[in-house]
Amino acid sequence: MLEADVEVDRRDFTVRAELDVQPGERLALFGPSGAGKTTLLEAIAGLVRPRRARITLAGRLLTSTEPPRAAVPPWRRRVGLLRQDPGLFPHLSVRDNLRYGPAAGRSGDELVQLAGVLGIGDLLAAMPARLSGGQAHRVALGRLLLAHCDVLLLDEPYAGLDSALRRLLTNLVRELVTTRQVPSVLVAHELDEAQAFADRLAVLDRGSLLQDGAPDEVVRRPATRRVAELVGYLGFVPAGEGPEPALAGIHPERIAVGAQPGRGLVMTGIIEAARPAGAGWEAELRVADAVVTCRLPDRPAEAGSQLVVTALDPPWFGPDGVALARPPRGEQAGA
Amino acid sequence: MSGLVSVAGAALIWIALLGPVITLLTHLSGSAIVSSLTAPGALQPLVVSLESGAVTVAVLLLLGTPLARMMARGTLPFPRVWEAGVLCSLLLPPLVIGLVLVFMVGPFTTIGQLLADVHLSATNTFLALVIAEVYESVPYYVLGAQAAFSAVDPRLEQQAALLGDRPWRVLRRVTLPLAAPGLAMALALAWARAMGAFGAVIIIAYHPYGLPLQIYTTLQETGLASALPFALVLLVVALPLPLAAYIWSARARGRRRG
Repeated sequence: MLEADVEVDRRDFTVRAELDVQPGERLALFGPSGAGKTTLLEAIAGLVRPRRARITLAGRLLTSTEPPRAAVPPWRRRVGLLRQDPGLFPHLSVRDNLRYGPAAGRSGDELVQLAGVLGIGDLLAAMPARLSGGQAHRVALGRLLLAHCDVLLLDEPYAGLDSALRRLLTNLVRELVTTRQVPSVLVAHELDEAQAFADRLAVLDRGSLLQDGAPDEVVRRPATRRVAELVGYLGFVPAGEGPEPALAGIHPERIAVGAQPGRGLVMTGIIEAARPAGAGWEAELRVADAVVTCRLPDRPAEAGSQLVVTALDPPWFGPDGVALARPPRGEQAGA
Repeated sequence: MSGLVSVAGAALIWIALLGPVITLLTHLSGSAIVSSLTAPGALQPLVVSLESGAVTVAVLLLLGTPLARMMARGTLPFPRVWEAGVLCSLLLPPLVIGLVLVFMVGPFTTIGQLLADVHLSATNTFLALVIAEVYESVPYYVLGAQAAFSAVDPRLEQQAALLGDRPWRVLRRVTLPLAAPGLAMALALAWARAMGAFGAVIIIAYHPYGLPLQIYTTLQETGLASALPFALVLLVVALPLPLAAYIWSARARGRRRG
């Protein structure tokens, strides 16, 4: 199990986060670029000096800035870190890269078996320069697994690979993490990637952990308006009564055409623009003072026409940006 | 057509650059070489040059390698100051280095007296020759080695550490093997400079004669023709190491490409 309570100073802000990851659990750290996600991983790996921290891994105290103090060096942490650049040693063959870690040389059988699972069995004699991006990532992953690390830290490892390959590698890591029962943390700045990997999602922004929970819960019930913005809510529509009405978060993909009052917030708006998106259409809809982006299955009417849609069970936020437990009364938004 | 012209132009420049070597070979006869080299004491300067060159290279490896590594990793404060220091011996004319060395390590200086206390002297001795050669060749090695270390991705060293290697093992298994081709080229260059060191040497280490001084004195005493065989000897001993280093590093880089 990994337990990390970390504060690291960066030039413009301090990264503060507390994480617990169980063996076999897959946590995704999600947030925009520059939120401090990588800094957090590097603190766990012992590569940056924290201002204040207490990190334990599999019962071993790795870092503690309070007595009893500890600062285990990276080479004794047994932390596996995989970055976007697989970091294979260019002067060593695939086989020698795989058995680089001290624990890796012991059993040749394990190497051959794992190479088979990773689909790199016939590349063992090749030099890293000959490998494709996907192959290099498999070798780097195999190297970490053969080193028997106690935790896998994945720092946007698949950025730059095509989506099919990314899906394949993500599934492979999921299986291996489950089989080997190591805690794992994936850093991602794309929600799809985080969701595809994780069974828990933690949202980080400007160094602060904003929310931590099951991926669908974080996306359906963001704790604050900022989290909602980060997980893809593109519009916030005022509805309800009073001088400072509550805001409904509108996610483009949680829209149904027509009025379905039982399923959420019915909105009547004017179409401002529409364009093809994926297999359907994306429309900009002006509702009251807000512009809302909607994904629609069919081509909407001309710009300027009226459209009635229902935002399915939207999250609600008070004037302070914090989520409301239940929708305000009399919600109905109109143009 | 324009391709042909550029190849011809490049060939012309290449031949002009190789001109001295070609001229040397065309002006030498076998009998002249034999008679020059079989004269009594003729091979002594060769031995002196090889020995002092070897010691110089050892000193550079031992002291220059850690310095180059620290300069490459930016672990030293005020990095430009260190670079300027190394560049200094490259920019100073060798004759000036020799003159200044007399005032630095000569018999009437503090260092000279400290050396005298342990029965050493840094003028007209083997030690003086090594000191002069080190000063003339050190920037070629340190700057080359710095570039070689800078080319090693620090993330690879981090990865090796995370896989369980202590710093010295990272150095041995990752940093040095990756920097080796560049280090070899830098060392070979430094060796060639050390073998040919003359300006500082003639002032601080006139004795014992190495090959460059042998050429100079032979030229002064008996003329051009009798100096040429020693020039050939100097080339023959100074060049194989750089050539070998060049071939080896090209091969090492080729192996990495698979």
